[in-house]
Amino acid sequence: MNQTILEVKHLKKYYGDKLGIEDVSFFLKEGEIYGFIGPNGAGKSTTIRTIMGLIQKTKGEILFLGEPWTQNEGLRKEKIGYLPSEIHLYDSMTVKEILDYHESFYKKDIHKNREMLTKKLKVPETKRIEDLSLGNLKKVGIILALMHEPELIIVDEPTSGLDPLMQQVFHNLLVEEKEKGATILYSSHDLNEISNISDRIGFIKDGKIIKEDTMDNIKKDNYTYLTIQSEDIQNIKKEFDLKIIKEDNNTIKYLNNMDYNLIIKKLVKYKIEKLLIEQISLEELFSKYYK
Amino acid sequence: MLKKEFKDNFKSFLIWTTVLIVIFLIVYSVYPFIITDDTVKNLDEMMKVFPKELLKSFNMDITTINTAYGWLKSEGFMFVYLIVGFYSSLLGLQILLKEENDKTIEYLISLPIKRNIIVRNKIVVSVIYIFSMIFLLGVFNYIGLSLSGSFNQKEFLLISITPLFVAYPLFAFNLFLSVFLHRTKKTLGISLGLVFFFYIINILSELSTKIDGIKYFSIYTLADIRNVISKCSINPICIVISCTITILFITLTYLFYQKKELI
Repeated sequence: MNQTILEVKHLKKYYGDKLGIEDVSFFLKEGEIYGFIGPNGAGKSTTIRTIMGLIQKTKGEILFLGEPWTQNEGLRKEKIGYLPSEIHLYDSMTVKEILDYHESFYKKDIHKNREMLTKKLKVPETKRIEDLSLGNLKKVGIILALMHEPELIIVDEPTSGLDPLMQQVFHNLLVEEKEKGATILYSSHDLNEISNISDRIGFIKDGKIIKEDTMDNIKKDNYTYLTIQSEDIQNIKKEFDLKIIKEDNNTIKYLNNMDYNLIIKKLVKYKIEKLLIEQISLEELFSKYYK
Repeated sequence: MLKKEFKDNFKSFLIWTTVLIVIFLIVYSVYPFIITDDTVKNLDEMMKVFPKELLKSFNMDITTINTAYGWLKSEGFMFVYLIVGFYSSLLGLQILLKEENDKTIEYLISLPIKRNIIVRNKIVVSVIYIFSMIFLLGVFNYIGLSLSGSFNQKEFLLISITPLFVAYPLFAFNLFLSVFLHRTKKTLGISLGLVFFFYIINILSELSTKIDGIKYFSIYTLADIRNVISKCSINPICIVISCTITILFITLTYLFYQKKELI
């Protein structure tokens, strides 16, 4: 059984009276990629910043490798790699200087890995941080997050500013890290980005985790759109206890998870002008959780 | 991290130290030419016109500005206290806060380093730079005065270290203040305001015995240069109070910074 790397229990954060997160609980098993998805302002960054010790939790508990994780951790942070949504580094330093600076904080020899990443991501080492494009700055952030071969990698909206090719390179890097045994907390508001590489997904909305499941199970969720057009639509409506997506005149569109045979049975006594069953896209499936 | 901090803060150290040294360089260059027998006579006449309280405020009742050393003990050290005060205050307010202002704190906190180590490193760098500024100025003044004529070396040494009793408490107080701020935007105003506030209180307290008590609200009282000039010794109480204030605010900074919301 894989070890639990990170466990967040009933995490709550208020900024004065303002809600940051209400009740966030999840866990990450060794070697898995956990997609942390939610719309902007749902509490993803607050959760991550609380884990990273930038802000103080109001309530709750964070465990890292089974031990309580405090706001003032030191050496144990050697095992964590963090890529924030916006990279802010020391402007006057060159890329080489910031990489040297980063390297100086770690006891183990991480130079080889640094060189491998720098080569792979093609980072201009002689350039100053302030002269880097957003994409190159992101690449430096990626190197800083991965170069010390962390056991837990936390990435917050990591691909913003990266072109599609670079996004793919980044995802490949994460998969490589996963194969080496790293555990990854991947936060994003973009489902397409997250669904391809995540093993499990947690949905956060209004500061709460509203659904958590494996990617396979989520894809298996048998939701379809059911559109019925009939002059008896008002009577048909009474037959179905489903979420209405759209309704006009004699047409109604449902979000459906009923068995098709049951639908046919219910509709057989009515005169149906049009019956349409559409497969729901993954994106639409997720947006249903947000509504 | 220490190396980087030294590098980052070197430029401002160099600028502030240069400002002070240039002021004294000008004085040492021109003083021999402006101080003649006639000007000494005129100065003495002029001093008689000034109220005693005003002369006391600038230590002119216990020294004369007929020599470069005399000027140093009166007006000269006024510049030293003010400029060292500004530098220490700004350093105190900005050294931790700059990381938040530039948003680099998110990166720094992700490194395997505790918050108290971050604070410690920044304090070490500041303490060394403040000391270096005062030391370099002392060396420069020693050379300048040696070339200008004779002077009381023990008294000079004691006077030269008095800015430390002001600089470290000001630094520590401003460092503590910075824990409750999130941006460096208003820090220049706060630093300048605090230094002027303390300095003016100190000057005012010398003007009348009725308001003598307000000097206890000024950090500049701890410099106590009058005591050094008149008794050629440093009041140990000033050292104790200066150290106590510095240690108190540094300790409070450590405690409060542990819980600071850094974004």
